[in-house]
Amino acid sequence: MREVAIIGAGMIPFGRREQDELMDMLATASLIALDDAGLGDTSVDAVHVANVGGGMLQHQSAIASSLTDRLSLLPAAAETIENGPASGASAVKAGFLAVASGYYDKVLVVGGEKMHDISAPRATDFVAAMTHPQAEYPYGITMAGLGGMFARLYMEKYKITPLHLHAVSVKNHEMGALNPYAHIKSPIVPESVFEGDFAEINNPIVADPLRLYDLCPVSDGAAAVVLSTVEVAKRSGRPYAVVAGFGQATDTHTLAQREDPVELKAVTLAARAAFDMANLTPSDIHVAELHDAFTILEIAISEHVGFFKKGEGGEAALDGKTCLGGQIPINVSGGLKARGHPLGATGVAQVAEIVWQLRHELPPERQVQNAEVGLTINLGGFANNVLCFILKRVQP
Amino acid sequence: MSSDVMLVAHRCQTCGKVHYPRHDRCLRCKRREFDEIHPQGNAKLLTYTAIYSLPCGFDQPFLILGVGEFENNVRALGQIKTDSVKRLWTGMVVKAEWGPIRFQADRIVSGLVFEPLE
Ligand SMILES: [Zn+2]
Repeated sequence: MREVAIIGAGMIPFGRREQDELMDMLATASLIALDDAGLGDTSVDAVHVANVGGGMLQHQSAIASSLTDRLSLLPAAAETIENGPASGASAVKAGFLAVASGYYDKVLVVGGEKMHDISAPRATDFVAAMTHPQAEYPYGITMAGLGGMFARLYMEKYKITPLHLHAVSVKNHEMGALNPYAHIKSPIVPESVFEGDFAEINNPIVADPLRLYDLCPVSDGAAAVVLSTVEVAKRSGRPYAVVAGFGQATDTHTLAQREDPVELKAVTLAARAAFDMANLTPSDIHVAELHDAFTILEIAISEHVGFFKKGEGGEAALDGKTCLGGQIPINVSGGLKARGHPLGATGVAQVAEIVWQLRHELPPERQVQNAEVGLTINLGGFANNVLCFILKRVQP
Repeated sequence: MSSDVMLVAHRCQTCGKVHYPRHDRCLRCKRREFDEIHPQGNAKLLTYTAIYSLPCGFDQPFLILGVGEFENNVRALGQIKTDSVKRLWTGMVVKAEWGPIRFQADRIVSGLVFEPLE
């Protein structure tokens, strides 16, 4: 297998982008990444597009073919990749395997989602369409509802309190406020959100016990990366990232069918496979982007990846161990919680963020000092399809 | 509301593992032969939530859902007949019924509905 480099990254600000079409967002992020890779006026061998809702929300299918034409990347190969909220990481994986196999030398991967074309109840319904069509969906379950049922069990078993969840939320909002690409740019004022007479109004229950500030927003946005051989990467003369490890695992579709519903087995297995491939351990990771669609998930994933022992992730967050400058900075981008969660874009955005961290090019208030190794975890469905990347900095 | 729970689960003929929803091969032993079984007795509430941000198709302020485990190990999600999660706790005993759970394309869809017994 050949070593695979990530030589370009691009993103457009996530948020409510009512004026933009899905294709506009995908094209803009792609061009930024291609320019960053130094391929702005040449071509790539393949284009992988991660998107979930194009067919359902924009009534557009075969998006990758259309985008490849629009970007004048013809006759590059093109595929649209749908894997729920893990579509982004799946598209990066497809690019990684294509370059690693020796078949392609340069692959553009772009993920995007336009979720504000529809009302909030329809957006909730669209996301809930990934639940089980007979055993879950008809009952009105939502992803947040699954998060709430998971949170209740996890909090009971591991003595996680709302204070632990608040710590995640406060950290990610604080970092989002420093990230020009973030959807939510307002730091949390704990006195008005978590305490006092208006806390119930400002931070209402959405899926008990999870409240508004435990949930990621519904976002529009796009992100892109360019993968290549190491030979191509070296030509730029500047630092780049290589894929040191990759792992993926699946779990039962329904939460109810899992032997122990608080075990995120697919996270453990995906991370273990990535660590084995990279020949690294959790203590070797300097920065991580974890799929915090709900605050409880950041805590649970941080434990299942192996950064903390089971039951210690909440205290770690409260103690600042996951902040910038802490033991393992998590979601320095603001995470899904604050950067936002345009489904198809998320997994690509996580990889782009780690690439910037490893190139040491973020402003000091967001840069993890001397970051050499980073990790991403992207979840599809409710942790029933999990992808993990470990990226390493290379200084030519 | 009918009290006959129409839910069909599957028990592996080889290893006895109970599946709901249906699997084409046993999660444990990979065999393909199953017996159809129905949930039996009351259920123990394993977890629950109240959802206030509902998908389209639900014309109500909130919905309370939970996962119940029946006496014959069938585990399934259902709606819970109660007005507040404050009346619920994990491990409590609930009675199962089969009744309307939503409107879809102008018709009533029926499913599992739990009623707290304690
Ligand atoms: Zn079996």
